[in-house]
Formats: sequence, structure tokens, C-alpha cells
Amino acid sequence: MPLLDAGAVTKLFGRLVAVDRVDLAIDAGEIVGLIGPNGAGKTTLVNLITGIEPPTSGTLVFDGTTLAGLRPAAIARLGIARTFQIAQPFRNMTVRQNVAVPALFRANPAAGVGQALGEAGAILETVGLGPKREFSARALTTPDLRRLELAKALALRPRLLLLDEVMAGLTPAEVDAEIAMLRRVNAQGITLLVIEHVLRAVMGLSHRVVVLHHGRKIADGPPARVVEDPGVIAAYLGNRRPAGRSG
Amino acid sequence: MTPRTLALGALAAAALGVAVAFPAFAGGYYVRLATGIYMFGALASAWNLVGGYTGYPDFGGAAFLGIGAYTTGILMLRAHLPFAAALGAGGALAVLAAVGMGTLLLRLRGHYFAIATLGFMLVLRQVAANLPITGGGSGMNLPIASAFTPFYYWMLGAVVLGALGGALLPRSRAGYAIAAIRENQDAAQVLGIEPLPYKILAYASNALLFGAVGGIYAYWFTFIDPPTVFNIDFSIQAVVMTLLGGPGTALGPVAGAIILKILDTILTNISLFLHNVFFGALVCVLIIFAPRGLAEVLRRRGGIVRAIRTELEDSRV
Repeated sequence: MPLLDAGAVTKLFGRLVAVDRVDLAIDAGEIVGLIGPNGAGKTTLVNLITGIEPPTSGTLVFDGTTLAGLRPAAIARLGIARTFQIAQPFRNMTVRQNVAVPALFRANPAAGVGQALGEAGAILETVGLGPKREFSARALTTPDLRRLELAKALALRPRLLLLDEVMAGLTPAEVDAEIAMLRRVNAQGITLLVIEHVLRAVMGLSHRVVVLHHGRKIADGPPARVVEDPGVIAAYLGNRRPAGRSG
Repeated sequence: MTPRTLALGALAAAALGVAVAFPAFAGGYYVRLATGIYMFGALASAWNLVGGYTGYPDFGGAAFLGIGAYTTGILMLRAHLPFAAALGAGGALAVLAAVGMGTLLLRLRGHYFAIATLGFMLVLRQVAANLPITGGGSGMNLPIASAFTPFYYWMLGAVVLGALGGALLPRSRAGYAIAAIRENQDAAQVLGIEPLPYKILAYASNALLFGAVGGIYAYWFTFIDPPTVFNIDFSIQAVVMTLLGGPGTALGPVAGAIILKILDTILTNISLFLHNVFFGALVCVLIIFAPRGLAEVLRRRGGIVRAIRTELEDSRV
């Protein structure tokens, strides 16, 4: 049984079909890349999985639990964490306090504030924010804010982690460091769904790549096969000749 | 416990000792003045829980003050309950009302919340003005207390409760939830926090203090009518005092209440006109130069001059 099983998930905004009958199964331990041009429905799909918005139709099942009707906090406590495309820090709290928040509110929370802060300090070491743990979150640079997003998600002790464009705006060297870090996260047994524009990153990291275009899934397979897919090439670069569909 | 926490604790204990002994050596005028300071210190501390820590601009605190005042008055006058029992019932009813109203209103954000709380308070004022049991628009006379020093201690209790709440909250699990909700509610939710119960907790704690102060106030002044207790001025003063002292800090609201009440008394004695101008001007100065209160100004290195310069540079963006 897959860890996350989405069946014909659909989201309408008025008459706009943002997500169109998407089937997506993610197995425990996988790293799945989710790519697609702007407006393809990637972030909407993440919002549906995390309960920020309800799907118009379709089913979402996480480890045997139907997510329909669950509020974001309940879904988080089931073990689904996410990072936001635009970092959402608690600006007037310290970096360490930011990370202590999920440690206090996950399914098996830290016993108290002191323990949560201690745990937060350890997680900050692993993402490279150790020296800045007493900084106010508002003082962080963009790459550091991304690290903070990841640290907060990890403090939730998720089984599935949805990463919404964690590499956008990073330098190539920073991208490489991020890929290495995500591999380490995955090696701890956390399943990853990586939404990304930086194709090099997704291709190098993912076991499997899913492509969305106009809300529809147009490809799903190993990275090497997906990049050759004429439908995917057409979606990214436009048509020179009528494109076939596969996958 | 850091040395700083210990020093602050010792200072607070010493201040409390002086406050407890105060009526023994001070005259009636000063005891009355201090009682008023504690009253507003308690209201400001209460508002700080909702407006400061949670970031919800509540302007309807007087709704709970009125509920506390009228419940205490009605129970003492018509059911002949002793003051303490009537006061307890008033506080409890204020909490109950806050849980009910909070469930509805705390889904709103920003200005909408502010207007809705104000509306709720004004509705209650009309209800109180039209019910037979409250004495309607002509108000209600409570039994006259045999001594007035007890009110000093009741209000002292209220302000200590408020300051204690403000000091303990940020160190607690609930405090982390409330801070996260204030900073970014969407981010808080995906990290496992269900916002509404924590917002209700803050709102109901605020209501408990407003309600208790209302009950003490009613018995202290012996006369209440709808415009006196359902009065937005209580909220506005609490807001200004909190802004002055430092929203989201434990002792800021109390410090704000002490400073403002003393200035208020001095200025009223000099000129009633000057006193009104002063408050308007003070609010403007605070919002421009110290939006996070005196606590923040003191915390910054380089003191007040540097703080003012930073604010001017910030606002040039």
C-alpha cells in the first residue's frame, strides 16, 4: 500500500481547473519529483494534500487514513510536513523558538518547552543553522530562511515531507548542498515529494518524476525517461510539431 | 533560571511587598490612586494577552467588564450573595461569554475582529439599558461597603494575576502556540497547531480579568449604569498603556498603567484641556517612534536616541 494515495484529485477555482483528476501514489522511502511549468497546479496539489484547501473531488489517503475533512493541523500531526515556496517564518521569534513550535505540537510532542528547545537546537545543527539559533528569524537571509523552513518541517518528525521549491534562488553550490541534505533526510526514512523548478536538482535527486501541465498529470516515471517524453518537452518548450502523449 | 530572571523575580517580590504594606503608611488619596492604577494595570495586562501576545486587536473588553459588574451587582442586590461569591460568578460569566463570542469572532482577522468586538460591546450596552433586572438606563446602586481598603487589595490581586499570566504565558506550550498564531497563522496550522482553542484561551483569560475588574469596580463605586461600564474608554486606555509599556511583554502593560495614570493625574490637576491633547499626542509619538513600546526601546543598545534614529531610517524606505 502506498504511503500517500491520491485518486482522481480535482480542484476547481470557479471555472478554472487547477488540478485535474490527478492520480498519484507515493511509496514509503521514495523521493518523488513534481515538476511542471508555472501554473501547472503543483502548489495547489500540495495545498490539497496538506488540507489548506479542500479538493473539489477525488480521494486522498495517507497511510490508510482518509484526509478528506481533516484540518491542516490534524494532517500535520498525522505526519505530513511541508515547506512553503515563500518562507513563512515566525519573524519575531528566535530561530530556535521557531523550530520548537512543531516539536511541541506534533503527534508525540516534546514533554515541555525546555525539551522542545533542546531538540530544536539539535535539528538546527543538522541544517547548518546552529550558530544562528538565537537570531531573530527576521534577521535571516533567504537561504537561511529556507533552512529554517526545512528545520521546522523536520521538527514535526514527518513521514512524508512536501518541499515546495526549496531550491529556487539558490546558487549552484547551494543547490548541491541542498541536494546532499535532502538525501540525508531521505536516508532517515522520510519520504520526499520535491516540487521544483530547478530541473537539474529534481533529476539528480528523484527516484521518480511526475509532470503536471494545466493541472493534468502528463508523465510519471524515472527521470531519464521523463525528460525524453515528447509531451513533457512540448509542455516546457512549446510545440514545433504536434506532440504525442505518453506515460 | 538565569541570574536576570532571578533578579527580576526578586525585584517583583520586593515591589509586591511594598504594595501590600502601602495602605498602612499612605493616606486615603494615595491608596485610591494606587487602586486605580492597579485596576488599569490589570485591564492592560488582560488586553495584552489578546492584543499583544495573540495579535488580535480587541476593542470590546468593556463587554466583559460590564458583564462582571452587572453580575456582581445583581447577585449582591437581588440574591444578597456575599461580594466574593458574586464576583466569582461575574468572572465565570465573563469567561463563558468570551468562549461563546470568541468561537464566532476569533475567526475574523485584523480590522474585522476589532469592529466585531466593539459591536458586541455596544449590543450588550443596549441590552443592559433595556432589561428590568439591570435597572435599565437609570442604573443600579450596590450595597455600600463598610471599608474601602479591601478594594485596594482586590485590585492588587487582579493586577498580580494579570502580570503573572503575562510572565508565565510566553514560557508555556500554549504561549508558543499563541506566538506562532500571531506571527503566522497559516504556518502555525501546518505545524500542528489548531488555532481557535488557543485564541479562545487568550480571549477568555482577558475576559476573566476584565470581568473581575468590573465586579470589583461596581462594588467600589457602588453605582453602575450602562454607559459607565460598557465604555470603550476602558479598552482604549488598556491599549494605550500596553503600547506605551510594550505589547507582548510581561510587565510592560503594568508599567504603562503606572506611568500613564500618574501623568494623567498630574495633568488633570494642571489643565483638563492639556490632558486631552496630551493623550492624542502620546499615541502619535508612540506609534511613530516606539511601536513596540518602552520595553523595546530600553532593550535596544544605544538607548532612546538610537532607537528614534533607527525608526526614522526604517520609515524612509
